[in-house]
Amino acid sequence: MNKHLANVNGWTIGAVLIIILLFLPNVSIVTGVFSPASENWTHIKEFMLLNYIKSSLTLVFFTALFTIAIGLSLAWLIAQYDFPLRNFMKWALILPLSIPPFIGAYTYHGIINYTGVIQKTLRNHFDVTPNPAYFDIMNVPGAIFIYTLFLYPYVYMITRIFLSHQSASLIESARTLGKGPLEIFFRVVIPISRVSIIGGASLVVLEVLNDYGVVKYFGIQTFSTAIFQTWFGLGDLDAAIKLAASLMGIVIFILVIERLLRGGKQFSYSTTKVRPLPLVRLKGRKAVFATLYTLVIFSVAFLIPILQLIDWVILTFGKVPMHDVLFYTKNSVIVAGLGAFLIIVFSLVVGNFSRVVNHKFAKILPKLTVLGYSIPGVVVAVAVITTFIALDRFLAPVYQYFGMDSELVLSVSLFMLISAYVIRFFAIGYNSIESGFDKIGTDFRDASRMLGANSLRTFFKIDVPMMKGAIISGFILVFVDILKEIPLTLILRPFNYDTLATKAFQYASDEKIMEASQASLLIVGVSTIAIFVFHKLLREEPK
Amino acid sequence: MFMDIKNLQFTYPKSTLNTVDNFSFTVEKGEVISILGRSGSGKSTLLRLIAGLEMPAGGAFSLNGKKMFCDKTFLQPEKRGIGMVFQDYALFPHMSVEENILFGLPKMSRKDKKKRAQEVLELVELIGFEKRYPHQLSGGQQQRVALARALAPEPELLLLDEPFSNLDTDLQVKIRGDLRRILKKAKTTAIFVTHNQNDAHALADRIVKIKDGKIEKIGRPCDLLGVSPTEIPGMVEITYEELIGV
Amino acid sequence: MKKSLILLVVALMLVLAACGSTTKKESGADKDAVAKKPEKSEVNLYTSRHYDVDNELYKKFEQETGIKVNVIKDEADVLIERIKREGTATKADLLLTADVGRLYRAKEEGLLQTVSSDILSKQIPEKLRDVDDMWVGLTKRARILVYNKDKVKPEELSTYEALTEDQWKNRVLVRSSESVYNQSLLASFIEINGEEKAKEWAQGIVNNFAQNPEGGDRDQAKAIAAGIGDIAIMNSYYFGQMLNSQEPEEVKVAENLGVFFPNQETTGTHVNISGAGVIKGSKNADNALKLLEFLTGEEAQGEFASANYEFPVNHNVAPSELLKSWGEFKEQDIPLSTLGENNAKAIMIFNEVGWK
Repeated sequence: MNKHLANVNGWTIGAVLIIILLFLPNVSIVTGVFSPASENWTHIKEFMLLNYIKSSLTLVFFTALFTIAIGLSLAWLIAQYDFPLRNFMKWALILPLSIPPFIGAYTYHGIINYTGVIQKTLRNHFDVTPNPAYFDIMNVPGAIFIYTLFLYPYVYMITRIFLSHQSASLIESARTLGKGPLEIFFRVVIPISRVSIIGGASLVVLEVLNDYGVVKYFGIQTFSTAIFQTWFGLGDLDAAIKLAASLMGIVIFILVIERLLRGGKQFSYSTTKVRPLPLVRLKGRKAVFATLYTLVIFSVAFLIPILQLIDWVILTFGKVPMHDVLFYTKNSVIVAGLGAFLIIVFSLVVGNFSRVVNHKFAKILPKLTVLGYSIPGVVVAVAVITTFIALDRFLAPVYQYFGMDSELVLSVSLFMLISAYVIRFFAIGYNSIESGFDKIGTDFRDASRMLGANSLRTFFKIDVPMMKGAIISGFILVFVDILKEIPLTLILRPFNYDTLATKAFQYASDEKIMEASQASLLIVGVSTIAIFVFHKLLREEPK
Repeated sequence: MFMDIKNLQFTYPKSTLNTVDNFSFTVEKGEVISILGRSGSGKSTLLRLIAGLEMPAGGAFSLNGKKMFCDKTFLQPEKRGIGMVFQDYALFPHMSVEENILFGLPKMSRKDKKKRAQEVLELVELIGFEKRYPHQLSGGQQQRVALARALAPEPELLLLDEPFSNLDTDLQVKIRGDLRRILKKAKTTAIFVTHNQNDAHALADRIVKIKDGKIEKIGRPCDLLGVSPTEIPGMVEITYEELIGV
Repeated sequence: MKKSLILLVVALMLVLAACGSTTKKESGADKDAVAKKPEKSEVNLYTSRHYDVDNELYKKFEQETGIKVNVIKDEADVLIERIKREGTATKADLLLTADVGRLYRAKEEGLLQTVSSDILSKQIPEKLRDVDDMWVGLTKRARILVYNKDKVKPEELSTYEALTEDQWKNRVLVRSSESVYNQSLLASFIEINGEEKAKEWAQGIVNNFAQNPEGGDRDQAKAIAAGIGDIAIMNSYYFGQMLNSQEPEEVKVAENLGVFFPNQETTGTHVNISGAGVIKGSKNADNALKLLEFLTGEEAQGEFASANYEFPVNHNVAPSELLKSWGEFKEQDIPLSTLGENNAKAIMIFNEVGWK
């Protein structure tokens, strides 16, 4: 060990422990790559793999492209211009994130299918029967459409925060050099926000890669389909894990590419004297265009699906049991809140470690935790179950000592579920915290220590308050993600522990989308409140 | 000897050259020392080593008889009783001027703390600015708050990293004078790092010129640099870089 | 800092462990009050059925017996995996699945135990019980044909096999092979006609696809209404749900479709079951048996039939009016466990013929 490490023992131990805990369950997956091939393997390779990878890559590529186009253009409009409805749109454009993509898929299909509101109205009121082929979204372009709508906020959010805080002088100098807005956008804005664009887009890519709900419903065969067909259909979990491990390989590949794209150009802001970008007020036709553009995106990605959900809630009112709704909502909020809280605490410890310990190992190690986010949830679930049952066996003497009659304690408690959330969503929270640490640099920390404050006091009095923004945004992102999480929640929850997401899934998986609307709407409602609070808190933060 | 540095060694990772190479140096109590060198000469690293913000590869350092580091020990920066004014001041943006100053004060009653804050604010002539936040202050005011904050815990040694680099030229001259007055009034031992020989000349009792992490010359300002250019009417102010012909 | 962190983690662990066990304690309290048999008062269910009617039946069971029903719902295969990994320590007492293939798989994995009682034998026909009494059927679903009344005459319809003929080119609608219902259908053909014939059939259907498979069973019916195809293979209870939908348009769609039970002259219509088995090592096996008896009893079977349009397994219970209106029909006569045995083979055939 380097002498550097001597002065940061507490952080190092804490951080390494956390990283090991996060990584441990994934080890069983990684080792799956090396397990001997089963008899099904040739079949999988011959009939499933190649085509499935092809459609996965198509989905990933175009979704990334469109989310960047929409996310970045919105971020730029909001960060630089003032136009009617801007202040509302600033936070409202994040809201589509609160709609789980599979619910979005069911809802959009519900809107435009033969019995949906569009065709129905055309048929019954205008006596027009359009070619149903125009209304088919259950295909690859349709899936790209759905993913783009409900995932672009990742790019929008991250890029907007970057642009409004970091770009003022660069953009102003470009303006004084006589560059027009379009040229500035392409020659200044895109290059300088590259890191945040890639950061947002890689979250999108990972979501698309591990999604199963949308592609299953649409009948598109992707890499996750292959994993599930192998497990559920062929009953070959080992081969499925092998596939998941290959998916991990792809993800690591993507991460490396991201690193390379970033190159040495990781911007660091040593001073806090970054001026916010002053807004340019748009007038006339331009203002109308800006408002219209944001309004269209907001409507398509949020308003229209929500109205449809509301319509269904009314339609099925009284037909869906309502009495437990409060219970589910409470459960959802508790698990999402606890999970997000733990992830943020852990991210702070690991982030501080990575910042303070000036060693390559300390920078790369935390990146590995993103693996939990890259593979289908249900595969993570199997790994988590295995780990916890082993843990329970290990702790059996302790249980006996306390007179507990059961051999399984942790693995039938909420603890397992929350831990699984932490493993899965750590990367999301960490991303946010890491950029927060990047932004404040180490000067304030040094100053604090020169004033006699130790590492811990510095952390609570200086780092945490200064990173309020990053902490809140990380918390909200994780919170919203857990709220709509399905596979882990389904299998890892304790008995009788239903959440809004499991309720919505229960109906949707049985093709009862109308009955699922109530729980779906509540997910959106809770997330909307969370995002709104986040917006308010961030606004009050002194800059 | 009040402060004693022996054979200080330091290398940044990935670098083959020693950033600080076999540096030995002593300071008397109450002295104001200027470390003069151009950027990349290792002068800021030296300051950070003294502060305890970097870990040396070798050597020893003691302050007022207390071991700061040697082969066996390394005292954490917060335990050294050394104050520092950072180049960009590093005023905590979420704290008011007063809170910034109170932050560094050791355990004592609330009343005593407030009293001490008033004392240092008076010293830097910023009474009445207690409730302001850093972003509401001018550059010169920020610098004086940073100085007050560093002086408040009565450090045995004060370090200043390029204290004037963020100020307008007009302000530099004025603050330079103020700074010397404040340091002498507080009887503080101070080391400041600069690339500007005028600053060094105006402030320091002694100047240490360094190059490539090694001491090039040590001496009194007039011996090393001659008469300060600013003291001769009509002389143009030049920087160290210009002086040594870069 | 280290200490406080460890303390925090330990505290959280305790809180969470407590959260998980409170439900147990509460249930313990009220079961004492009702049943006065503390050691026999709960049954833990892993189920892949997720219908509201199930929950209501569990509640009714609780009221009648004082036995608390605890539930975890997920996909059958995930549940099976969880039981496998929990091993002998598992808390699961009963596994409910929506198709027989998964029960077969659980049995093969050695997760089930034999369960039998006079009541069960009386309530469930032998054909719908496992040969080794490891599982029993709870409800039946038929995989039927629905067709466009304007374009297809019932006389044109005969068997599943006939759908591969050229006259149905570009007219057949069916969902993707990921659906376990399609897998079981093909598995039954493998059993009846042999692997080669089954593959020919799958290939023939693919050749006659009206479109690439997409959506669920209901979407196939809608695609007929939209004019994309003329005939669809779907499950009986989905069709029942459409006829009773809250959305008037769905009802309209369903009303314009005819229902046909294929293979009446030959091998019978494909029937799958939803069923359950008691977990090996179950600590509440008696309670599990009671629940099974309850769920196959007349009251529960009536509920399944009327609320969920499933065919009851209990002969004393009549199907709902709607199901009755479709008339009696001849079912496939093969051991149900063969559906599970042939499942993997079916998937491979689907992949080979390109049935998405």
